[in-house]
Amino acid sequence: MMGQSEKLQKIAAEALEQGQVTMVLGWCKKDFWWQAPVAFITDPASAARLVWDPFTVYNPVKYLLDNHHCHEKIGVFVKGCDSRAVNRLLQDRRLEREKVVLFGVPCDGKTDAAKIKAAFPGRKISAVSRVDEKLLVDTDSGTETLPAAGYLLDKCQTCRHPNPVVYDVLAWEKVEPRPGVDDARFVRVAAVEQKELEERYAYWLRQFDRCLRCFACRNVCAACNCRTCIFDQAEPRWIGKASDLADTLNYQIIRAFHVAGRCFECGECERVCPADIPLQELNRKLIKDINEYFGEYEAGLDPNDKPPLGTYRGEDPAGFDES
Amino acid sequence: MKRIGVFLCWCGSNIAATVDIEETMAAARKMPGVVYVDHNKYTCSEIGQAMIREAIAAHRLDRVVIGSCSPRMHENTFRKTVEAAGLNPFYLEIANIREQCSWVHKDKLTATEKAISLIRTAVAKAARSEPLFSTEMSIERRALVIGGGIAGIQAALDIADAGFEVDLVEKEPSIGGRMAQLDKTFPTLDCSACILTPKMVDVAQHGNINLITYSEVEKVEGFVGNFTVTIRNRARSVDMEKCTGCGDCYAKCPSKVDSEFEMGLAKRRAIYTPFPQAVPNKPAIDRANCRYFTSGKCKVCQKVCPAGAIDYEQQDQLVEKKYGAIVVATGFDTHKLDNYGEYAYGKHPDVITSLEFERLVNASGPTGGKILRPSNGQPPKNVAFIQCVGSRDKAKGNPYCAKICCMYTAKHAILLSEKVPGANAFVFYIDVRTPGKDYEEFYNRAYEECGATYIRGNVSKVFPDGDKLVVRSVDALSGALVELVVDMVVLATSVDARADARELAQKLSITTNAYNFFNEAHPKLRPVETQTAGVFLAGACQGPKDIPDTVAQASAAAVKVVSLLNKESLLSNPTVAEVDIKLCSGDMSCLAVCPYGAIAEKFIEERHGREIRKRRVAEVNTALCQGCGACTVACRPGAINLKGFTNEQILAEVDAICL
Repeated sequence: MMGQSEKLQKIAAEALEQGQVTMVLGWCKKDFWWQAPVAFITDPASAARLVWDPFTVYNPVKYLLDNHHCHEKIGVFVKGCDSRAVNRLLQDRRLEREKVVLFGVPCDGKTDAAKIKAAFPGRKISAVSRVDEKLLVDTDSGTETLPAAGYLLDKCQTCRHPNPVVYDVLAWEKVEPRPGVDDARFVRVAAVEQKELEERYAYWLRQFDRCLRCFACRNVCAACNCRTCIFDQAEPRWIGKASDLADTLNYQIIRAFHVAGRCFECGECERVCPADIPLQELNRKLIKDINEYFGEYEAGLDPNDKPPLGTYRGEDPAGFDES
Repeated sequence: MKRIGVFLCWCGSNIAATVDIEETMAAARKMPGVVYVDHNKYTCSEIGQAMIREAIAAHRLDRVVIGSCSPRMHENTFRKTVEAAGLNPFYLEIANIREQCSWVHKDKLTATEKAISLIRTAVAKAARSEPLFSTEMSIERRALVIGGGIAGIQAALDIADAGFEVDLVEKEPSIGGRMAQLDKTFPTLDCSACILTPKMVDVAQHGNINLITYSEVEKVEGFVGNFTVTIRNRARSVDMEKCTGCGDCYAKCPSKVDSEFEMGLAKRRAIYTPFPQAVPNKPAIDRANCRYFTSGKCKVCQKVCPAGAIDYEQQDQLVEKKYGAIVVATGFDTHKLDNYGEYAYGKHPDVITSLEFERLVNASGPTGGKILRPSNGQPPKNVAFIQCVGSRDKAKGNPYCAKICCMYTAKHAILLSEKVPGANAFVFYIDVRTPGKDYEEFYNRAYEECGATYIRGNVSKVFPDGDKLVVRSVDALSGALVELVVDMVVLATSVDARADARELAQKLSITTNAYNFFNEAHPKLRPVETQTAGVFLAGACQGPKDIPDTVAQASAAAVKVVSLLNKESLLSNPTVAEVDIKLCSGDMSCLAVCPYGAIAEKFIEERHGREIRKRRVAEVNTALCQGCGACTVACRPGAINLKGFTNEQILAEVDAICL
């Protein structure tokens, strides 16, 4: 039986050979076992570099913004979350559907390298691979087996759409969402909501006080796709450049509101945050509020839907809750 | 550095009693860019304005900040003042230290502190103001009136009399609207048709009015002075040029359907004029009920038409026309009674609505003007009138008062006593509301002279008993249970907005309230304007109204149209949105939120090395833009800016308050 990586390689090589696309975005292996960065493949021979392993978490879709002008058509491998990024870009009119061929990759969750490292303190790991629901960890003292479910990235544990929501070709059979993801979706939000106002404010101050304003959360986010982000503008000065908590709060609040109603819950912002700020709690709080005020809405499922915060309906609530 | 002058107004004691003017002046002198500070007891007076003009010249001021009342009061006054002194009028900034400061504070210390803060904010904003200029726009000197009821008729006649061409669009085959269905009118008991039909004929004969019946507005584009409207002329199947209105066709037409005009109490033919005095008095074929259009056979009307006017091949025509102003006069619908099963409407033929009663009383109605029970054709002895059916009912109807029901019910009671001698009228009411000239007297007449019995109480149930009806209620004044046996029940049905009002509002870029009545621009001071310049309202489409109010509003709307069309040209509002295309991502979230349809997408070409790339950006139509600023909020990269209220200015104001 052909391995999953080989399947991706075959799809990419064929698309390039047939001239269907002139570039393919997927994942490759580079220096470290815990990384599978985005690969930019332009000739069929290089398609052999493509991999599908426990660490292909990165979203290749945002790279389309830089590349779609230079290519007639680009092929992109998309997991469930990545496919919703495509819909995000389509709805934001930053991409045209006919410019891309989407190779859908049903995804059973990506592995958190930190959790693996923590499981083997002091041991040197050389490779991690996955066979169904098992992780095989090659260490300097032999191969160990771990249950994959216990070592998933946090964001994958609450993933409601593991299968691509839009695709042209599917690499393999669709997978089932993990049981209990719907219940888990707003658990952390509810925990924060239960705090008293003062305590909640102190909680968020404590979180944002760690923010370095490295903008990794913005850079990785497919909803943050403006040509020139307001935080990169010198005039008007939307946030001060100095290290000041007020400006950091300003940044974080503006970021959260710029993705409100548009965030498709890929959780990349939280994953890449070097300060471990729980950004998903903020994003999901806004999603929860939108659901409650404007009816259930999930962004990134249909690029032609009417986003509740971008459209007006007479029955929209007009109140302002000061709690 | 800008040279800013700050002028503080006492407004008599309105401001000076609560704000320490001396201290505020001292603080203003230290603000960045301020080179001159002065004060005046009444800055809006000629002396106060002269002081500003002189100071601009003497101190070479290039920005002016006035601490005074709300800019809604005197912004235009002071803009003219600074313009007279040679500055751009938008170099003026007003700090509202009256409504937002002295009037809302009692303590002089805090009020003074707030006044200083407001002045500092205005100074910061003024330092960043740019000169703004209006442009001149031409005007298409024709008007469109949508709806041919009494409101549309009156507005069209007034505009036409002023010398402007008017197109009057009506969706039915005839103008006349609701008023044509009424029998008598309160409080004078004039015959409705007798006072309406002369106006209908005036419309038909007026050289400046172009009557477009059996037609609807399909699309509205453009802006004040320059609307382009697409009108759908529905296929009438009758050649209006050839038809003489002889009526042979509908005398012979074999298909009979319920007449909308007679509220279903009588039949009409598939080829029909809605009522005998119709204008134009030329029939239309209702294709949904026409035997030829449904079965392919018949053509009786074509055979009998002596003029050869029947044309089954006619198609809907879309006609595009240009207008400078639009009057919306689309009227109202009566409330649907689906939620009022307890009144047995639709279950018992003797329970009728007030509009059906109008037809029963009318000489040209189904009974020739005799009030007869629909069930057996006998005159009723006792009639119950139930008011507020669907009105003032938060639970299942309209929460608002429909305004006309108290008066028309009094009228019905009077008409009943006149037409059926000895008959008794029982009126169930919540309150009787009669504000209006001669209205209270009219209502008094109903119970004093005509013997109507008024019972305060909500009717809980109407049910048949033999060939009679029982009305069960509580007499709220005595607390007693009332059960009346009557021959007929008349429901005073509430007034709803037209079912398609929201759709039309969208086409016109105007707003509706929660009940789909069109919103006026200001509930008191701009009652016939809408938020969209050049679109005006008349009649019940804006809210429930009786005929006198409707006619008054229609004439008011006409005056607004005439004063607009009389202008040589229009000056555009310079505080409009502007797109910085280098920042624009082209995601068009601004377009989605623009209530005025003022934003469109366009493609620009850009060089990238040797390559030319096309890129989508937003573009503002400055004639349509009303400067509301919704787009600036929706724009994430801050690429869209409102002139006169730029992001830079707003941030400077925030800094001035907070830092």
